[in-house]
Amino acid sequence: MSTLLTPPDEAIDAEVANSVASGRSMDAKGLAFQMALLLALLTALAVLVWLLYSVVDGAIPVFQERSVGDFLSGKLSGSPQRFGVSQGIRGSIGILVFVAVIAFPLGVAAAVYLEEYASDNVFSRAVNVLVRNLAGVPAVVYGLLGLFVFKGLLGDLTGGSSLMSAGLTMAILVLPVVVITASEAIRAVPQPLREAGYGLGATQWEVVRTQVLPYAAPGILTGTVLSFARALGEAAPLLIIGTATGLLTTSGGSILSQLQGNYTALPMLVYVATKRPADQWLSLASASALVLLVVLLVANSAAILARNHFEKRRS
Amino acid sequence: MHRSRLVVAVVATAALSLLAAACGGDSESGGGSASTGADLTGAVFATGSSTVEPITALAGESFNAENPGVDITVEGPGTGDGFKKFCAGEADIANASRKIKDEEVQLCKDAGVEYVELAVASDALTVVTNVDNTAVSCLKLEDLYGLVGPESDGVATWSQASQFGATSQLPDAELKIFAPGQESGTYDSFVELALSKITEERLGEDPPKETRTFGGLADDNEIIRGIQSSPTSFGWVGFAFAEQAEVREIEVDGGEGCVAPSAETVADGSYPLSRTLYIYVNTAKAAASPALQAFVTYYLDNDEQFVTEAGYVALPADQLEASKAAWTAVVGGGSSAETTTTAAG
Repeated sequence: MSTLLTPPDEAIDAEVANSVASGRSMDAKGLAFQMALLLALLTALAVLVWLLYSVVDGAIPVFQERSVGDFLSGKLSGSPQRFGVSQGIRGSIGILVFVAVIAFPLGVAAAVYLEEYASDNVFSRAVNVLVRNLAGVPAVVYGLLGLFVFKGLLGDLTGGSSLMSAGLTMAILVLPVVVITASEAIRAVPQPLREAGYGLGATQWEVVRTQVLPYAAPGILTGTVLSFARALGEAAPLLIIGTATGLLTTSGGSILSQLQGNYTALPMLVYVATKRPADQWLSLASASALVLLVVLLVANSAAILARNHFEKRRS
Repeated sequence: MHRSRLVVAVVATAALSLLAAACGGDSESGGGSASTGADLTGAVFATGSSTVEPITALAGESFNAENPGVDITVEGPGTGDGFKKFCAGEADIANASRKIKDEEVQLCKDAGVEYVELAVASDALTVVTNVDNTAVSCLKLEDLYGLVGPESDGVATWSQASQFGATSQLPDAELKIFAPGQESGTYDSFVELALSKITEERLGEDPPKETRTFGGLADDNEIIRGIQSSPTSFGWVGFAFAEQAEVREIEVDGGEGCVAPSAETVADGSYPLSRTLYIYVNTAKAAASPALQAFVTYYLDNDEQFVTEAGYVALPADQLEASKAAWTAVVGGGSSAETTTTAAG
């Protein structure tokens, strides 16, 4: 047994550290391990590059035939020459608004309560476990929730297969992720910061507001990035709730009626285009996927910029 | 204090600007060109077959250009799902790549949904194999039954199809099936057109309306890729898909010689696996909605243009006339009871 489990030998560790630090040649095993790690990294990178390449390569025919602006401003259509993504972009951004307005404040508030106010008892621990498990629940399951609750039960309010149903479903879907990342960020706030606040006579509310939240903001924003990415990319819940895939014409109306109206979203456009005949449609699928990636990138960089801003303020 | 306010401000600004962006796009489509066309307003919702979806979408697009006040939504979850929604009264139009089934007729009846069936286009099921599989060029209906009929679960090679009635000389090669899943109208159409007659002869009254079991694929593009992946593959797809892909189209012999699928043989009905594509319109909704009435009339009047643009085969003139007549009876006649009962019967 003891031969199987080699105990960590500090002397060897130190020697390896020395040889690495001094640039001397390492032992064969160490080198092999390093190479294996490098290989893993390169494989992951290669897959990523290949994915990007195939998406861009597939999308090229579309942009040879028509301008980027034409594709971006085009709408759902039965004709591959006119098919465009403007309605998909609108729908996806609409879903993000729901995520930002509902999941974000709700999730952060829940995390603050769990970390700062709730006492460590059976209830709070159960909630913690539950939230962690919810974060791993597959998206289709949330799609069913959307179908039964938002489209069925609350159908009169949401308008059935509507942007509101989709947005609410996505907000619920990402809520656990927001709660978990916000909890982690709040837990990482150094205890002395709080104690200093209390020492100055601040109430708990004041400490949370002026010390804990600003300090945790960068971490919380990281959670938002993750949740935005998930809400933007998921197609399964939308498939279940139902979206327009063939044609969608709207003549305006109040914001409420638009939220209750039919919609479509970028991942659905990718899905629909792959189901139509001819290579033309497959190119359109790639082009739509490319737009989805760009929108994701823009949303993420906005959140990252905000995070950096808060990090700078903190230091 | 200062910082926390900033957090709120940033979040609020971001949310508001996103909302503005989300709603901003709409004013342009709404304001647009109210001067053209009639002052029709209203909404039309079409669901159902993803095969028919492009035709209805093209019709809607064209109609909307003249009547910008009418909101048209077209989706394509599949013929079966479409009828579920349609019979629940959720949709104005159900696109269908097959006729409505008895149980769906019942579903509509129970919910009190009355409808009219309108043929809009012709399509064919194209039997396909790999381009390298030159040993097969024509199959009889008996062969198709032997290969994928309900009895043929054990058939592993093409030649074994003879156990269940195949009469052609088929190669002794592995049979790999790539075909649509049971939820697809293309599956149902194949059972109906290629298998049902022989199934009835061999298995008696009330035969199973299905093929042998195989892993059904979700869409025609997947089938095409499967067909291309194996040199002895077998499957069937919609005509438009086969025409635009690099696969070997197999001729079909329905008793009167081998016929290749083409616009001509589909239109004149000589290709045995021709099918008709339909739209079903909710007559009560049509009576209540001038927009829906105008849309369907416009659809039928310009049907051929949309069908050809979508890559399907135009309906024979007499069938299109029959559709128009059925529709006129609904809109003109006022009472739609008679059309509905014939359709439902």
